[in-house]
Amino acid sequence: MKATNKRVAAVLLIMVWLTMAVQCPSSAQTARGGDIAVVVNPDTPVNDLSLSEVRKVLLGERQYWNSKLPVTLLIRAPVARERDVVLRVIYQMSEAQFKQYWVAKIFRAEAASPPKIVYSNDMQYELVTAIPGAIAFVDARAVRPGAKVLRVDGHLPGDKNYPLR
Amino acid sequence: MLIGVRNERVFFSVRNRRLGVRKREPNLRQGKERMHRPLLFFAVLILTAGVAWGQGPPAPDQTEQIRILLERVQQLEKRVSELETRQPVAAEPVLTAASASAVQKPESAESPASPAQAHQHESQETQAAVHQMETHYPSLQIRGFGEVNFSATDQKGTTSGFNLGQLDLHLASALSRKVSYFGEITFNASQTGYTVEVERNIIRYDYNDFFKLSFGRYHTPIGYWNTAYHHGSWLQTTIARPEMVRFGGTFIPVHFVGFLVEGNIPSGGAGLGYNVAVGNGRGTIISRPGDAGDNNNNRAWVANLYSRPAKLYGLQMGVSVYRDKITVPVIGGSPNNFREWISAAHIVYTKETPEFLAEFANVNHRNILTNLITNSQAYYVQVGYRLPWLEKSLKPYYRFEHTHMPLSEQVLTNQDLVQSILGVRYDITNYASFKSEYRNTKRLPGDPRVNGAFFQTDFTF
Repeated sequence: MKATNKRVAAVLLIMVWLTMAVQCPSSAQTARGGDIAVVVNPDTPVNDLSLSEVRKVLLGERQYWNSKLPVTLLIRAPVARERDVVLRVIYQMSEAQFKQYWVAKIFRAEAASPPKIVYSNDMQYELVTAIPGAIAFVDARAVRPGAKVLRVDGHLPGDKNYPLR
Repeated sequence: MLIGVRNERVFFSVRNRRLGVRKREPNLRQGKERMHRPLLFFAVLILTAGVAWGQGPPAPDQTEQIRILLERVQQLEKRVSELETRQPVAAEPVLTAASASAVQKPESAESPASPAQAHQHESQETQAAVHQMETHYPSLQIRGFGEVNFSATDQKGTTSGFNLGQLDLHLASALSRKVSYFGEITFNASQTGYTVEVERNIIRYDYNDFFKLSFGRYHTPIGYWNTAYHHGSWLQTTIARPEMVRFGGTFIPVHFVGFLVEGNIPSGGAGLGYNVAVGNGRGTIISRPGDAGDNNNNRAWVANLYSRPAKLYGLQMGVSVYRDKITVPVIGGSPNNFREWISAAHIVYTKETPEFLAEFANVNHRNILTNLITNSQAYYVQVGYRLPWLEKSLKPYYRFEHTHMPLSEQVLTNQDLVQSILGVRYDITNYASFKSEYRNTKRLPGDPRVNGAFFQTDFTF
């Protein structure tokens, strides 16, 4: 009796799990994505930034790589995973806070324009390679040769302690 | 479709397996145990039906529709490839990089004879995307801020009612890679109509992050609030500014006309920054800067040093000093001259969970003729917290303000104040909010406490 009950319960549990797995495949796939690489134009005179330096760049507190090369910020449009990681790890802001931050930044005359919005990793990659001083955040699996991938806190994407994931 | 067929197979195989067990072991299960078989069978049936729900094979009419659509897609693909081979490369439409990659994948599979053309096409699209993203000069951006207020207090002689507050237009334009313009114009409701005021008017040259030089009319970089929130009340948590930095107020000179040097100081994790400005200082009307010229030959100067530590993201601490000579005209006599020395300090944490703002300023006036010295102090402490519910749209806050001026103060009229403000901000959207406040205010020692309710909806557009 008890053995049968256990068997029935086990079969039911397995079926429930299978049902959920079949019906919600995306949840399992999106819970954990790849690392987000910090990619810059090859002519940019940096190879390694700390996370707080990346934050300064993204906050618009560091606007020049050197006196002749201004930073051009590229950021993915909302919903992209790259943007989620950037907002969560670097800005530590919600989408609303991020928008408010840049309205205020320009209003304070601290920046002339907000980050440029890009709609795909292909476009992002092409812009980074074409615009001097550009910096973008790309899924590490989508990085192609030609752009420079920066170390963050001394780590490259894929390293155990890489912070942008 | 495929998933549905697969699930159907799973369903039948499970059912057949169950039947097979019954044939091989007809007498091994007894009594109640047999009752579980139909139970198990129905459970499997329900669950697999759930899986198959909505994923089953399409109805015959759907299959027909899909077939028609596939034929249509094939026709269109064929048509596109025909057009692309006919037209010269220069006449091809400009596509974004994203759409380009989407279009080129099927093409490369179908027409392997044109890789050079595809490459040229791709590089053109890249150039078009880069061109679109380039900043064109001048690149004027206009943003507006507005507000509608309602207030009611128990102060005798006052009336409750609505007022429109300020309509604020902000202009920002990059004139080149290193030169930018910023302007701010307000329209202020008054009894006789609207008054227009140029609040800020700045042209700035950026050499690098450490040296940025600008000229024009600023909000004086004393303390934190005056340069953090400006005129758009949507940017600040509360309905109104603290009294010590109130627009039209006199405790500190809110506006400044002259030049300003600002930038970061190489300091590693300390995150130091500075502002140094030289300008006209207070004008003949003490609440206004000398827009049309100084009223004496002495320039005011201000220096502000702040730190944003890298390891304490959101924290800012700073100190400011301001020095000026004030000339107060006297009817029928020679003007009185005073030396003004303002020292201020602030500490703020702006992450909203919690938000903490605290600022203090001391205003020192010395009569040059008599050497009489007065010191006035003002400070505020504001705490807010962005609540995690309702999509983080609610932010309750509290602010305490205190201003003390000695009776011997010679330049400013008395502004003594003890005030508590309790309120909540509700962000209706990303660009509009509704605020409600209760204020308890006491001015001079003999004055009664005034209670008031204040409401505001403010927005940016």
